[in-house]
This record gives sequence, structure tokens and C-alpha cells, in this order.
Amino acid sequence: MKMDKIKIGVFLSDCGNQLSQILDFDAIINYVKKVPDVALVARANEFWRGEGLKNIVEAVKGKKVNRIVVAETIPKLGEINILEAVEKAGLNPYLAEIIDLKDHCAWPHKDSPKEATEKAKAMLLAAIERAKLLESIEKLEFPATKSVLVIGGGIAGMQAAEDLAEMGFEVHLVEKEPFLGGLAARAGRFFPTDDCAICIQSPASDVKTVTHTSRKCVYRSGFTEIPNLNVLTNSKVLKVEGVPGNYKVTIEKKPRYVNEEKCVACDLCTTVCPVEVPDAYNANLKKRKAIYINTPLVYPPVYAIDANACKFADCAKCVEVCPTKAIELNQKSKRLTLNVGSIIVATGFKEYDPSVIKEYHYGEYPDVITQLELARMIDAFGPTNGTIIKPSDGKPAKRIVFIQCVGSRDRRWNPWCSSICCMISLKHATLIKSAYPDTDVTICYIDIRTTGREHEYYYERAREMGIKFVKGRPTEILHDPEANVLVVDVEDELLRRFLEIEADLVVLAPSMVPADGTKELAEILGLELDEDGFFKEYNAKLRPTETKKRGIFLCGGATFPKDAPTTSLQAHSAAMKAAKFLNMGKIVKDQRTAAVNEEYCGDCEFCPVTCPYGAITLTPKNDGHFVAKISDLLCEGCGVCVGTCPVNAIELRHFKQNQMLAQMKALLSINGTSKPLVLAISCSECGNAAVDSSGMAMMRYPANVRTMKVPCTGILQVQQILEAFKAGAQGVMVVGCKTDGCHYEVGSQIAQRKVELAKMLLKEYGIEPERLEMFNMVYIEGDRFAEAAKMMTERVEKLGPIKIT
Amino acid sequence: MAQEKASPRNFSKEITSRLGGETITFCYQCGTCASSCPVAKITEKFNPREVIRLALLGMRDEVLSGDAIWLCSSCYNCQERCPQKVEIADVIYALRNIAIREGHIPNIYSEFAAGLMSEGRIVPISKFLEKKRPEYGLPPLKPAGVDAIRKILSATGFDKIQFKKGETP
Repeated sequence: MKMDKIKIGVFLSDCGNQLSQILDFDAIINYVKKVPDVALVARANEFWRGEGLKNIVEAVKGKKVNRIVVAETIPKLGEINILEAVEKAGLNPYLAEIIDLKDHCAWPHKDSPKEATEKAKAMLLAAIERAKLLESIEKLEFPATKSVLVIGGGIAGMQAAEDLAEMGFEVHLVEKEPFLGGLAARAGRFFPTDDCAICIQSPASDVKTVTHTSRKCVYRSGFTEIPNLNVLTNSKVLKVEGVPGNYKVTIEKKPRYVNEEKCVACDLCTTVCPVEVPDAYNANLKKRKAIYINTPLVYPPVYAIDANACKFADCAKCVEVCPTKAIELNQKSKRLTLNVGSIIVATGFKEYDPSVIKEYHYGEYPDVITQLELARMIDAFGPTNGTIIKPSDGKPAKRIVFIQCVGSRDRRWNPWCSSICCMISLKHATLIKSAYPDTDVTICYIDIRTTGREHEYYYERAREMGIKFVKGRPTEILHDPEANVLVVDVEDELLRRFLEIEADLVVLAPSMVPADGTKELAEILGLELDEDGFFKEYNAKLRPTETKKRGIFLCGGATFPKDAPTTSLQAHSAAMKAAKFLNMGKIVKDQRTAAVNEEYCGDCEFCPVTCPYGAITLTPKNDGHFVAKISDLLCEGCGVCVGTCPVNAIELRHFKQNQMLAQMKALLSINGTSKPLVLAISCSECGNAAVDSSGMAMMRYPANVRTMKVPCTGILQVQQILEAFKAGAQGVMVVGCKTDGCHYEVGSQIAQRKVELAKMLLKEYGIEPERLEMFNMVYIEGDRFAEAAKMMTERVEKLGPIKIT
Repeated sequence: MAQEKASPRNFSKEITSRLGGETITFCYQCGTCASSCPVAKITEKFNPREVIRLALLGMRDEVLSGDAIWLCSSCYNCQERCPQKVEIADVIYALRNIAIREGHIPNIYSEFAAGLMSEGRIVPISKFLEKKRPEYGLPPLKPAGVDAIRKILSATGFDKIQFKKGETP
């Protein structure tokens, strides 16, 4: 590598003469000018825009400087602007060091300007020493396939798939059942719009028949005719290999035994099929044939054969009658391999089986049913054509009791509130009451939760219609076999009276739990599940449809039971995120990643286990030993591996040990106050933000406290903490994110352990361990930082200078 | 809890720090316990949901000096069915223990305790019962090992804590 002579440009902003009223700028400039390798010192009102920025750019363009140190006062905005400008001017942005003399020096030490001036010198010297050792970082590009796999063909998956296909991405929509629609299709109608569950937005590509406001039934929507959209029913994801942008997915497509291209849904096959089985789709309330279609309105509108029921070659009557020769009994399972750049998980949720709650006798008394089963009865296309009956004898149900929170909000089964069951019951109760006003409907509830838009009106309307509400969770459902009537045993808490409510039909509102196969899919994709078994999003507030794995997104009920409006929102969000991820056809990032020194690395498993991003794998070398390999694509550059490595074999390209040491020594080389030096090592996220905010709010703390930013406190090794004491610190603070809010997942926790370990070592050396302390803070806790800085200073003052025994 | 004086304000804390009382704050008043309770169905004097409610609202005196907590038959039906895993019957035991230490105890329980100390039995054996036993083919009762029982009661501290008003351990 050609080593140019180092020429450092130092640019000092005095923030419109604000800072020079506190700091002695002349003294500072005189000092900086004398530091070796400093080629240029400039001062201006501001350097992050306008004339000031032009100065920097010209100095870079004119080759007057080849590294820069800028002391600016607008923490992040300034940094972004300056780095972009110097990059355009031809300087690698990683050769620039930006510090904040206002928030980290002048303002918090406003009352002691002399001390602040000395601290400013130390901060600038530290930045210069670090700048000398900085190295260029290259840009990396990784190819990305503009193709997306959507897992799950319910409303979430269909909407995400449609969005992406219409934006021009190739989309593979994988559904495990023979028909699309998922759980929602069985719901009949939706709240709060009261429209059909199978009504979806129409593809915008269907320009001949729709306007942009159009909604259509799935069967009329032309959904599967969208160009670039490949619908795979009866299919399951078996394996996912590869990296974000380039996944190789193995799919198993089970045979339908009906050729989707040829079937015209003429229904002749079902008239000859001799096999009848209970129709699970319709809550087993009617029978269906071995060759079947769920309802007339499904997609794809072609029949399927139930392999568990069909007699195949022993019968084959359907084959004979089929006018288009669509039935192919010799179809076999197929394995397909897809190349996709991104994956959207839309696997949804399911209704919990309430038969475990013995006192409600579900599965034992036929007239105790679930909400989903009732939905099939309410549906005009359902097994009872919209009439509400007692399954035990087929007679109309005139007295209906709903029981809420069955298995939900229940520590014995599922502790969460399933969030939609109150609304489902209100919807069903009002639908029944409107169609059959003489039906007596009672809802037994613990709390009615109607938190969404227009939801409370459902509750209001239900009361207007004469639906009765009993506050109380029934202890048991009894059955009188003679009268064939159910009795619900409940305390009406508001009356403080025990009721025995007679009912023809009792409808349980079971909790909603993760869909079948959620755990297996999570393993295949390497995704985390939350403690309730749902897919875990990356951040509930800011990244609700993203996962810890770049390129894999979530939407709909896969993360938690939710209503149709929220599911739609998430589907569009996940589609947008996937589009944003793949849009350029490549993934561009800086190589600000970790690098392994293979000479030292060998055979331990610390870093691959600790890396929060699964970026490290152990790879065999020729000599039979294993070394760590770091994926530049997956590495986020946090440095947790650096802190974890027991043999110092890993370094961050953008934050090397020698840079950190030089910076630390310089920071502690000038004191200028009467107090002992305290070094605060802060992470670049919440920790440093707390330091920023204490300065911004002009909270005071003494100037002997020096801050040094590291990418994540997880990068710290015990020896570096000890080095700080060696370099002259009388006290050391480690300031990281909250342990459960670390931007790199585990960094704060790992740092905490390092601090504990370093304390033990300090004790061995005869140094008081309380000279070292870990703090966890966020941006809004600037006051806590100022307090902590004062507290540590006082503590160290009391202890006196370090005496090594 | 140790330093805090027992008061209505921290009554639920006082209960959760007691053996059996740990789960009381889980209660969300669904009423499953009440409709499960055989006692509540025959008398208005006892409703397990109400006992928990009064306790959580800090109505300490009303709970401890009232009859309700003594009416629970310990059938554990409520505890079996509580969706929040509130150990209701055990909470009521915890409340009884607090009540006893503060001198609130129905006479019948004092008599039980006295009987246990003196005779080694809670239910005294009457002449009538002894006469009846052979009629049903039952052998005569052996004497209860009063000395052994007293030793146990003294080792567990039972003999010291009983029924002294206002005493707290």
C-alpha cells in the first residue's frame, strides 16, 4: 500500500461565536497547529454546510489535506453532510473524524471555561491521533435477486404478493392448503366493514375492469392472473439456504390429482364420487366428497382430491366423467427449487382447540362450538346455508350463549389476550340478531375490549338490539340429556347473583394461537419466536414487519392475532420493505465489518455463538483446525465478536484497537482541572446519545470527565478497560444502551460481564473496583449521565490517586 | 414488607409476602371462583371473588374481622378453575393466619385449638359416639398421643401463637 504523507486538516466550528465565548479558541488553535502532521487549521461559524463546508471540500480537492478532523456542533446531521461532501471531493469518508466540542465540552462545562478549553485541546488531540491511524473502507456490492417468496396464502400473504408482483417483482406465493384464503376466508364476514371475508383489493394491473378504488371477490379479482405471480397451492417450504438477496428455497408441492389448467369446475366429479367424509372446512357440520372444492368462491377455482379419502385406481369414477380429462390420479409430489432475494412470512394464526378446558366440554357436547364453527353456520355458503342450528339434533338454536376468553388470558393455557375475539363475538351476535331477531343471545365476558376504530359502535349496536351481557366467566357448562339443553353456570358479578342460563347452543371464543408448523418454519428460516410461540419482529415500535434476519419480513397473524385492517397494513408494509430491500437488484454497503486474523484464530466457538447476526461460521483449514469466517454481508460491524474473542484475533476494520488506544491516551494526556480524570467509554447509540443530550440541555458535569465513543460497548475487552487506568484514568465509566434495548442485541449484557471481570482483576492489582462502573442509559436520560459523571468524580476524589500495591 | 407497618394501603403486599398469598394480585375479577364455589351458592355470607376484591382494595379490617374467610370449605374447586392461577383457597388460609395473629378467630376455631392441645383431637369424643362405634362394627378409639402432639405443637410454635390478641411475629 502506498503511504502518502499524513496531512491532517482540523476544522473548528465556533457555532456562530457561541463557543468562543466559553472556549479560548486562539489558545486551542495555537495548540493544534503545533501537533505533528497537522497541515491545516481553519475556524468558521459552521462547517456542516455553506461556506464552511466549501472550505473543507476545497482543502480535500486541493490535496492540502488527506485526513480531516471536524469539530462540529450538530451531532448527527453535521456528520452526515460532511462525510457525504468529502466523499464526493475524493476523500474516503472513513478518513474523517467528527467530534462535538459544544455538547461534549463547552456547554456542560460552561461554568469553568479554562478547564473546558483544556478539555477541548485533549479532545482535538485525541481526534487527531485517531485520524492518523484511520484506514479507508471500501464499498461492497452483493447481487440480489428481484424475486420474493411469500409463505402463506391468507389475506396477508395475498396482499403482500399482489403489491410486489404489480411492482414488477417475481413473486412465489406458497400455500399449504389446496385453496387460497386461509383462516379469514372461513370467517364469512369481517368487522368493522361487515363485508365479505373473501373481498380483496383488485389487482391494479387489471386495467380493463377495475378502477383504483375497486374491491372484488377473490374469485372475480383475477388475482392469480397477475403477471409475475406464481401461486403454489398444496405446497410447503422444506429448506432455505443462502444469504439475504440470494436464497435457494426448496418447496414440496403435493399432488392435487386435478390438473389446474384443465379443470373447469363443472362439478360432475362430485356427483359420481362415492366417498363421503366430514367436511373439516365447514366445521364437520356436513359431509363432502373425496373430490371437492371448499366453497364455490375459492381460488384457484379448481377441484382437489383428498388423498386420505380417495380410493384412486379402485374407483376412478371421476376420471371417467371428467369432460376435460383434468383428473390425474397418478400425480406425484414434486420438489421445486426457487431462487429468491427476500422472504415474507404470512403464516397467520389459528383457533385454539378448547377441548383441554374440561369444564366446558367442547368435543363432548355437540352443541358447544367455537366462533369459527359458528362463522361457517352464519355464512350463506356454509353447511347450514346461514341458519343457526343445534348440531346435536339439527333443530334451530333459539337461545345462544357466548363465552369469552376461552383459553385466552388464562395462565393455564395462553396468557395473552387474543385481541379480536370480543369483536368476533359482537359481530356474530349482531349478525344472528339481525337475521333472527327472536333469538336470545347472551355474552358472558370478563372485559369487553373494543379498541379499534368503529369497534365501540358494535358494542353499542349489540346493546340496542337487545343482546344481553353478563359480566362473569362461567365455571362450567352442564348438559341436561333429557331436555337436550345446555346450562351455563355463571355468577353475574354486577348483580352478585348466580345464574344458570339455559342454552341451545354455547359458542366459545377460543384464544388465537400460532398456526400449525410455525415452529418448524422458524427453524428452517432461522427466525426467533416470542415466548407465546409467534414470530418475533425486529422491533415492535419501529420495525414491526422486519426480523433480525435482513431480507426476511413478517406480516399478519404470524406475529400475533390481529384483525383484517391491521393485517392489511402489515402486508403492505412487508411488501414495501421487501421492495426497498431488493429494488436496486443489489445490496450496497460499506465494508465496516469485522476481520479475522487467521494466524491467531483457532478452534474456539465464542464468536459464532455470540454474534447477534449469525455472520460468523467456523470453517476448516487444511491443517484440520477451524477458523472463524465473517460474512461481510451479514456483519453489522458492532464489534461484539472483538470483545468476545479470547485471543484478540478479530478487529473491526473501522474501529481498530490501535486507533482506540491512541485516542484514549491522548484524551487522558491533558487534564487541566484539579480533579482526577474519569474516562467515559460510551457506545455510539443510546450511550452517546445520553452524553449528547446532557450537553444539549446544558446540564453541568465536571471537565475531568472525558468521553470516548465505541461502536457498541460489547466491543470492549477487559484489557482495554485496564489500559484506560494505565493511561491515567482514575475512574472509568462504561455507558451503554439498556440491557434489553441494546442496538446490537447482546452488547450491553456482554459489556456488563466484562466490567464485572475487570473489577475482579482491579481488586487483584490492589485498585479499588468501584473506580469502574457500568451505566445503561438512553437519550432522554442526559440528566442521569451528568449525575453519574459527578458521582464518579466525587467517588474517585474520595478514593484519592490510584496506588498500586 | 418487614419494615413496613401493616396497613390498608399495603394490604395486598402483606398478603403476597405470606405463604399461600403470593398469587392474589393475579386476580382480574372474572368470577369463575364464585360460580365454582359450593358455599357461595348456599349463603350470601361468602363469595371468594369478593374476599379477594376486598383484600385487593385494602379493606383490611373488613376482611380480617369478618366471617367470610372462615366459611371457605377448602374444596379447591375455585383454585382448579381460576384462569389466572390465583391460589384462592391458599390465599384464604393466608388471610386466616393474619386474622388469627390479630386476635380475630371464631370461637369454634379456638375450641378446636384448645381441644388439640388438651385432648390431642379437634373433635372431642363423646360417650355417645363411643357407645355407637360397636354398632357399626368399629373398634374402640385408641387414645390420641397427646404428649407427642403437644411436642409437635410446641416445636412448630403453635402453642405460643395461639389467640393472643394483637401479637405479631
